[in-house]
Amino acid sequence: MIEVRELRRAFGGVVALDGVSLNVPDGERRAVIGPNGAGKTTLINVLAGEISPTGGAVRLAGRDITRLHSWQRARLGLAHVYQRTELFSPLSARDNVALAVAARRGPYRLFRAPPRSEYAQSDAMLERVGLAGREDVVVRALSHGERRQLELAVALAQSPRVLLLDEPTAGMSPVETARITELVAGLDRALTIVIVEHDMDVVFRLADRVTVLHEGRVIADGTAADVRGDVRVHDVYLGKAVTVA
Amino acid sequence: MSLELVFQQALNGLSFGALLFILASGLSLVFGMMDVVNLAHGAFYMLGAYVALSVVQLTGSFWLAMLAAPLALALLGLVLEPLLLRRLRGRHLDQVLVTIGASLVIVDIIGQLWGREVRSLSAPPGLDGSVALIGGVYPVYRLFVIAFGVALAVAMSVVYRRTKIGMLIRAGVEDAEMLGALGVNTNRLFASTFATGAALAGLAGVIAAPVFGVQPGMDTDPGLLYSLVVVVVGGLGTLSGAVAGSLLVGPADTFGKVLFQDVALAVIFAIVALVLLLKPTGLLGRIRVTR
Amino acid sequence: MRPLVRWALVAAAAVALVTFPYWSAPWESTRFATTLLRDALVLAIFALSLDLLVGRAGMPSLGHAAFFGAGAYAAGIAGQRLATDQLPVTLGAAALVAALLALVIGVLVVRSEGIFFLMLTLALAQIVFAIAFQWTAVTGGSNGLSGVGRPMLATVDFSSPDLMYVLVAITFVAAALLVWGLARSPYGRALIGVRENERRMRALGYDTARLRLSAFVLAGTIAGIAGALSAYSTRFVSAQDAGLGNSVRAFVTVLVGGAGTLGGPIAGSALVSLIERVVPSLLPVELRISEAILGLVFIAFVLFARQGMVGLGRQTWLRVRSR
Repeated sequence: MIEVRELRRAFGGVVALDGVSLNVPDGERRAVIGPNGAGKTTLINVLAGEISPTGGAVRLAGRDITRLHSWQRARLGLAHVYQRTELFSPLSARDNVALAVAARRGPYRLFRAPPRSEYAQSDAMLERVGLAGREDVVVRALSHGERRQLELAVALAQSPRVLLLDEPTAGMSPVETARITELVAGLDRALTIVIVEHDMDVVFRLADRVTVLHEGRVIADGTAADVRGDVRVHDVYLGKAVTVA
Repeated sequence: MSLELVFQQALNGLSFGALLFILASGLSLVFGMMDVVNLAHGAFYMLGAYVALSVVQLTGSFWLAMLAAPLALALLGLVLEPLLLRRLRGRHLDQVLVTIGASLVIVDIIGQLWGREVRSLSAPPGLDGSVALIGGVYPVYRLFVIAFGVALAVAMSVVYRRTKIGMLIRAGVEDAEMLGALGVNTNRLFASTFATGAALAGLAGVIAAPVFGVQPGMDTDPGLLYSLVVVVVGGLGTLSGAVAGSLLVGPADTFGKVLFQDVALAVIFAIVALVLLLKPTGLLGRIRVTR
Repeated sequence: MRPLVRWALVAAAAVALVTFPYWSAPWESTRFATTLLRDALVLAIFALSLDLLVGRAGMPSLGHAAFFGAGAYAAGIAGQRLATDQLPVTLGAAALVAALLALVIGVLVVRSEGIFFLMLTLALAQIVFAIAFQWTAVTGGSNGLSGVGRPMLATVDFSSPDLMYVLVAITFVAAALLVWGLARSPYGRALIGVRENERRMRALGYDTARLRLSAFVLAGTIAGIAGALSAYSTRFVSAQDAGLGNSVRAFVTVLVGGAGTLGGPIAGSALVSLIERVVPSLLPVELRISEAILGLVFIAFVLFARQGMVGLGRQTWLRVRSR
């Protein structure tokens, strides 16, 4: 589903990605891990189309998307959940999700109120992520954990083929982390997921395969068990296999 | 068009460019330091001209006016910055809006105090003659304007690059917050920057008066319109941007008026459009986070 | 308040507004109030269109008068050159010219944001103004365009003060309905999304540049229609109609009234019209400072009541209710 070939990205003098290549087949759940500064978020942002690479190519379902804008990729089925919460603050949870639902149909309907089916779909999505009863609450009034749940709802409402999750459990309590993890685990198996994570428990629960980045390069790529036992990975994490949350 | 005419128009273009530089540099400076587009800049320019009018009426000295007007505007700037802008620190759009309000007030009060007829200010004796130049005579004053503009650009460049103040300004243009963290009194820095920008606008008002007259509407045309066009084209926030913009817009506007007369502004429109399409931040401008 | 009751009240208010000259005739023989209200309504239409940009889409334009002026000139010139005064033609010309101009300018400015966007719109609109001011052959230059025809619809002549008012009032009601409908539609919601988090909107699949352009063109078109109405009201078009002063006026109206709301631009135009028309008659004749007063009021709102009159009203209402 996703093919990345020799991806390069430099910011001035800093090389964030130095020839990253990976392949994520349909329906696989791939975790991308690595110490801080390894280039994980840059990789996600390049995949999402927010940053353009200085070299290399990205393919989605066989189609070269390297030059496409983020909104074009979204229409091809790519959904992106940011590392920092990016929602529409003055809108309610329902409206946030509705925007995603409506995106498919295009926004140029000037005179009709949003169709009720849109709101029904939004509410269903909210229930699925565990926000039932909070539909009318404005984003500003939601807790951090609830906002991350909402982020997931918004992304899922896009009916994506590929889901990019950038540290979805960052800043969460163990309870919230477990909730999100189970949510993602329960997602449709046809959905291809790439997840950047620091929390190893989450990685081992969710990932089929793990890619390890270090200083912009892939240093290991295998099943979670393989990577767990990989000496290089241990070295890179300074001997800690469990994350510093 | 004869060669003499071309030469004359070229000089006209240069003198207009010099004027534009004096005018636009203040706007560029304030934006570079404070991220504020002072939309009262045209009103300051206008006030400078009217103050010069009164000073010349009272004392008969153009040169005194050239000192007094910038001084008066600097004082006004020192009052307005803490009064209006300081409490809106960080709210850049609102700061711009507040300068709009200030502009409305200043322009209306000028009209109330000085009247709304067209006035004029003559060049000072000594500069009011003409000089024989290639193919004809040319007003000395316009040559003076060119010389003054160049001198100011050089002076500003020297201050910018070689003095402590210049270093503060350069640092402030990069990151004003950081300066505050380093112990620089940013309140005072911002107030003086704003005052300097106002003074430059006032100076431009005095110098432009013998050429463009003193009348209602001068705050927008040429005042604000041309300073904005210069900095949009040349690039906001940099000295070289102001220079580049003035050198481009001055002659273009002059030749445009000669060649196309009624729709000379279309020439400017075309240049602005071209620059915007090719480089949205202006020729020598810097990319800014603009919200 | 039940929806049906609310609708009935709004409809009644609209009817009262449109028929104002007729039921106010007994105490309004000089037609001063009618003219004042008419001009306030034209400003309201203008402000409503600007609010689409400033309040909903988060695009602070200081060049909106370019489209107002373009519409005004187009209506006047179309009437003269095409030797017709039929409203569908002249209003259509106004809308078309304004829309085209908005498209041209929009393409240039729509990729910038915030202050840079503000400056660009200002500069480009000023150039349009200067063209209008200097293109004497077409626009009458600094003398303006006089002899704007009488607006006709079939055989009905709308140039009498009463009927002119009715025309303006009906257009205002239509514009208000349009903006109201827009705000609740997926389009309006998308504009808010673009305003709040453009990056996220793009991540959801919205072509935000095109959305902003469409808002810009729509707003410009409505402004053009307001301009045409202004031309018919005063039988005259001045270059100042496209000038910075007029753009500022609309911006002040939107902000002081309350950006992003339906009532904001309307309340704003009431206040601005009051300051411009009524206050001067309360001051000594030699003291012509209504613009300065407007400027001071504007500064006060920016500093202390950024959300405008409607916002202030809502805050007070909430505070009163929670007692």
